[in-house]
Amino acid sequence: MTAILSVEGVDKSYGTHHILKSVSLTVEDGETFAVIGPNGAGKTTLFKVMTGEIGFERGRIVYDGRDVSRAPAHERARLGMGRTFQVARIFPDVTVADNLTVAVEARRRSRGESAPAWYRVATRADIRAEVEARLLDVGLADKAAVEAKFLSHGDKKRLEFGIALAGRPRILMLDEPTAGMSPTDRIATADLIARLRAETGLTVVMTEHDMDVIFGLADRILVMNYGEIIAVGSIEEVRANPLVREVYLGQEIYHAER
Amino acid sequence: MMALRLGAILFGAALFLALPTVSDQGIVFLAGLVVIEAIFALSWNLLFGFTGLASFGHAAFFAIGAYLTGYGLKAGLGVPFLGLIAASGLLGALVAALTGLVLLRRTTGIHLAIFTLALAEVLRIVIGYSTLLGREDGLASIPKPTLELGFATIPLTSGTAYYYFMCVAGLVIGAVLWVVCHGPYGRLLVSIRQDPQRVAFLGVNVGRKRLQAFILSGAVAAIAGALYAPWAQIVTPESAHWIHSTQPMLASLLGGAHSFWGPVVGTVLFSIINYLTRNLVGLSELVIGATLLIIVLAAPSGVIGLVRTAQQRWSRRRKSGAGPDGDEGGSVRS
Repeated sequence: MTAILSVEGVDKSYGTHHILKSVSLTVEDGETFAVIGPNGAGKTTLFKVMTGEIGFERGRIVYDGRDVSRAPAHERARLGMGRTFQVARIFPDVTVADNLTVAVEARRRSRGESAPAWYRVATRADIRAEVEARLLDVGLADKAAVEAKFLSHGDKKRLEFGIALAGRPRILMLDEPTAGMSPTDRIATADLIARLRAETGLTVVMTEHDMDVIFGLADRILVMNYGEIIAVGSIEEVRANPLVREVYLGQEIYHAER
Repeated sequence: MMALRLGAILFGAALFLALPTVSDQGIVFLAGLVVIEAIFALSWNLLFGFTGLASFGHAAFFAIGAYLTGYGLKAGLGVPFLGLIAASGLLGALVAALTGLVLLRRTTGIHLAIFTLALAEVLRIVIGYSTLLGREDGLASIPKPTLELGFATIPLTSGTAYYYFMCVAGLVIGAVLWVVCHGPYGRLLVSIRQDPQRVAFLGVNVGRKRLQAFILSGAVAAIAGALYAPWAQIVTPESAHWIHSTQPMLASLLGGAHSFWGPVVGTVLFSIINYLTRNLVGLSELVIGATLLIIVLAAPSGVIGLVRTAQQRWSRRRKSGAGPDGDEGGSVRS
């Protein structure tokens, strides 16, 4: 296994709040890596640092052998990092299909693939076909013509997932992909992630509160508390860790069924 | 929907083209101003309605084009008219590039609005001190040009000829902007308006796209100014005044900022209101103010939005007998 993403001794503060304290981790190519921890542990900040949404004070982030510590978000996206947000971020004023069209066209342009010129008013057939494929992937084919703002919460999450997939990422970063979803939608989303991973060999990094989803998908788990890593390892290793027991005392991590 | 839109555009174009044969010179002059202000409003709305950037000093670009072309024609530099228009567009683009490079680096939203407003006022004051540009009096008695196309020479020295030239120019610029706004580029700009950060995570350099839109908008506004100089035959520092900067904003809000033709519809409506209330001092402001208030409160998406809603309701009623409604609502851009 080779490392696709490594975080080396990263520190991040908001003013006097020290959020990330010398955090280091390594994500292997093709694995599913979950970051868990209580609220305020710094999971989302770690996510923002890894994707390039915010900067950090000390340390280094290496993606695919390249130091991307100072690379802005759009450059990381071009290198193959895709992400979703905790609250689904889509383009509400246009149709579901247009949401994906813009994502497909953006990827083609930024990776030097064949992209339509500015004067092509009608969407090109090959791009329409790709959009159809993504719609089928995320199960929104019947809602292609709906304006995205009218979608349900779960459908918005799925659309955002489709937008991220349209970027053909090598590594997909999911910030609480099932937050606020109904149990049925959670299972559907977890199945979707598992299927795409199997089909494309995608590396997934995710934070999540739902332990069923985590245990169903993750190869390795990283547990954070107060900006520090307290455990990394397989599900069994993490469950057996006394420090994790303390942080999660009496919580679902020990009740959830595999 | 499509047929209605096409019909409205053709009807509007026919009306403008027929105007010199049916009405007096005063009205033709106003119609010419409508064409110019409509182009100006389209350039502003490319930024606001499509890219999500508000420039409150857009009249500065207009003045840059108007002064350059006005000066070029008055001084008899021997530069062909189309060359002057192109030079105006280039100068507008250059100024937009320089200011955009500085302003867009950090500011969007209200800060950008105030900065552009301040810079435009500075430009107006500088023009007022410039002897070359006629100080506060501006450049008067600008001659109408002759169009040299290489294979033919068309004199635009008569009002009617120049009016037709402006109509053609307006159609060409409108068509180019329509294509820009409705193709992949426009789709990207609309996405940036809705969520710039999401667009950045698609691998797009959002700052660069915003700068491009700013440059394009500045160039088109300057071209509108270039068309204005020989039509009004006088250019004063007022053309850079902030009141002039509000014209495209009010027109876009009235017509509908999220629709491509909204600014054009708004400009036409404003001119009609102005014309009908021309003899009643102070009433035109009152009517415009009241109209805007009603529009903002009752129809935030402008007159075009109102028409579209009515259209959808009508088509839904018509379809309801035939089966389930297939109309999922119009797209944002039309």
